Amino acid sequence: MADAAGDRVMCHACGGVWPRSEHGLICPQCQSDFTEIVEIPPDPDEEPPLTSDRPDSASSPRSAGSPLNPWADHDPWAAQGDHDRNDGNQPRDSGVAGGGYQHRTYRSPDGRFTFSTTTYTHGFGGQSPSTQTTSNLDPLSMVQSMDNIFRGLTSTYQNRERSASVSSSGQASSQPRGQGQRLGSFEFNIESGNSATSSQDGGLHPRDADGPQPINNPLRTLSDILELFRADLSANAQAAGHGGARVVTGTNPLAMLSSLLSFDRLGDAVYSQEELDRVISQLIDQTANRGAPPPAPATAIRSLPKKKVDTEMLGHEGRAECSICMDAVEVGTEVTVLPCKHWFHYNCIELWLNQHNTCPHCRRGIDSPQTEGTNDNPVVIADSPEPVSRRTSSAAANPGRSSQPPPGAWPEQSPSSWSSRSFSSWSATSPGPSSEGPVQRQEQGRGQGQDQEHNQGHDPGESQDRNHGQDQRRDSRGEGSSTGSGFTGWVRNRLGGGGSSS
Amino acid sequence: MGSQKRIAKELAELTESAPEGITVKLADESNLYIWDVYMEGPENSPYQNGTFHLTLTLPTEYPFKPPTVSFRTKIYHPNVTNDDKGSMCLGMLRADEWKPSSRIAAVLQFARQLLAEPMPDDAVEGRIAEQVKGDFARYEEVAREWTRKYASGRG
Repeated sequence: MADAAGDRVMCHACGGVWPRSEHGLICPQCQSDFTEIVEIPPDPDEEPPLTSDRPDSASSPRSAGSPLNPWADHDPWAAQGDHDRNDGNQPRDSGVAGGGYQHRTYRSPDGRFTFSTTTYTHGFGGQSPSTQTTSNLDPLSMVQSMDNIFRGLTSTYQNRERSASVSSSGQASSQPRGQGQRLGSFEFNIESGNSATSSQDGGLHPRDADGPQPINNPLRTLSDILELFRADLSANAQAAGHGGARVVTGTNPLAMLSSLLSFDRLGDAVYSQEELDRVISQLIDQTANRGAPPPAPATAIRSLPKKKVDTEMLGHEGRAECSICMDAVEVGTEVTVLPCKHWFHYNCIELWLNQHNTCPHCRRGIDSPQTEGTNDNPVVIADSPEPVSRRTSSAAANPGRSSQPPPGAWPEQSPSSWSSRSFSSWSATSPGPSSEGPVQRQEQGRGQGQDQEHNQGHDPGESQDRNHGQDQRRDSRGEGSSTGSGFTGWVRNRLGGGGSSS
Repeated sequence: MGSQKRIAKELAELTESAPEGITVKLADESNLYIWDVYMEGPENSPYQNGTFHLTLTLPTEYPFKPPTVSFRTKIYHPNVTNDDKGSMCLGMLRADEWKPSSRIAAVLQFARQLLAEPMPDDAVEGRIAEQVKGDFARYEEVAREWTRKYASGRG
């Protein structure tokens, strides 16, 4: 294979990248071979130079391709006064190499979500004895700063103590503290009309006067945070009850934190996109299994007709087989015939029908009432209402109207007139050619006998108007007729009746 | 069981007149339920000239439950999981799609057809599926590479 020597291979399992000429297609780190040859060679030095006096700037925190922790440049020790927020809508950057601060505010387009950062930098911070300002690459300090994030989120009042001495005049030339510290803070503000989220507004205090949070002690350690998670999760598990995945949305600050940290799934609660995907695919699988037809009742199986195979059933080739056991079937063998005319050995089809109530060939339900269905209309759902019976029962419920079209059907009406009647029945009280709208409103809820009288009092020539009077009564009557009740009954009336009229 | 009879029958048929590019045999002569399948990559596909080893596993409830197909040979394909299982996603093998009148020969032919025509909308490897849709040439290149690397050893 004469590939270019500069080819690089990326491992999709661990994300590692290496020159193809050195290690080939197998990942040297995790031995995975789920790899891809990448076209653009990444930055050769994956490890940035470990310079402690690198001028930090939040706007260009790291070089492309660097595996640095995204928080590495971000020390969340609070250094923010309240007036920083007031003029914080404009990004300001001191731009001074080696010192200054930067305040940025990001706002979502709908204005509901605001993320603001304030980073104070000092060029000579690397020499500080403070543990927070040691090398960015020191894993210990990264862990510490992670802990700091927790503290910053959960106990901002501590930060205020620390920030008391910080100059926050808001001028571009203002100087941060001269101790070589790089101080930063960030805050989440969720602006929402929802009271549940607004109670969590304002820096995610554990002690919100309006909020119902039960935490009384400031969280000081990582284990405190984890304990909080655990309590929250167990509460969720109890609330969720039996089964079902509970997805915690972003209004929960713990969920946001946890998604930042890629927490794994615990119980029924998921906190990361990957876990959510997994739950969803699991649900899809369950649905797929549930989508399979249910077993047929034993009585239905036993009542299926049996007959001896005759030459006609064997087709032109003169031989046939049971498509379940694939055994050839001779003339005279007794087989079970399904409503769709497909036939099988009784023992074979019984095994299948015990699991699914459909024909193994064409999937027609075996308890379908319409055995004479055509190929165009092969499957009839067992519990779907039959339009024919509904129409007749409606007509039977209104015997006095036998000379008129029964309300369940609109025969002799073209589809166009049906639709216009549908519209007019929506606006029965509006001024129009039908002056009887208000009258019909009054009589809604009365008995059918009165309906009949009302109809008799009308000019027979107004059949059109009378028809939509009937429509409306039928809509409001609902339970009185046999066409079903509630909204579904209404829909069924509309659609079913419309279908039968066309 | 009745299933053994049918399986033996299907095996005999497949051995006598195998579909194009497909050879089957029992992985273990004493076990009818696990088959070794060797599938040649379809022509004009990136899997051409490769021979893929598949395992076909039949449930004891066969033919009332669908068989499962898994690739032993690694393959770069949106409908085959890229793990040690190599499960293939075949619509007709899903529980609600399966019907007992489907035959193993049809399943295997369908699987081979899927090699020629990946179905990225029904994928198990989303990343490969995106590549099939967005950068087909790139997908073909990687698939060919994998075929050369993994599927050219056996004849």
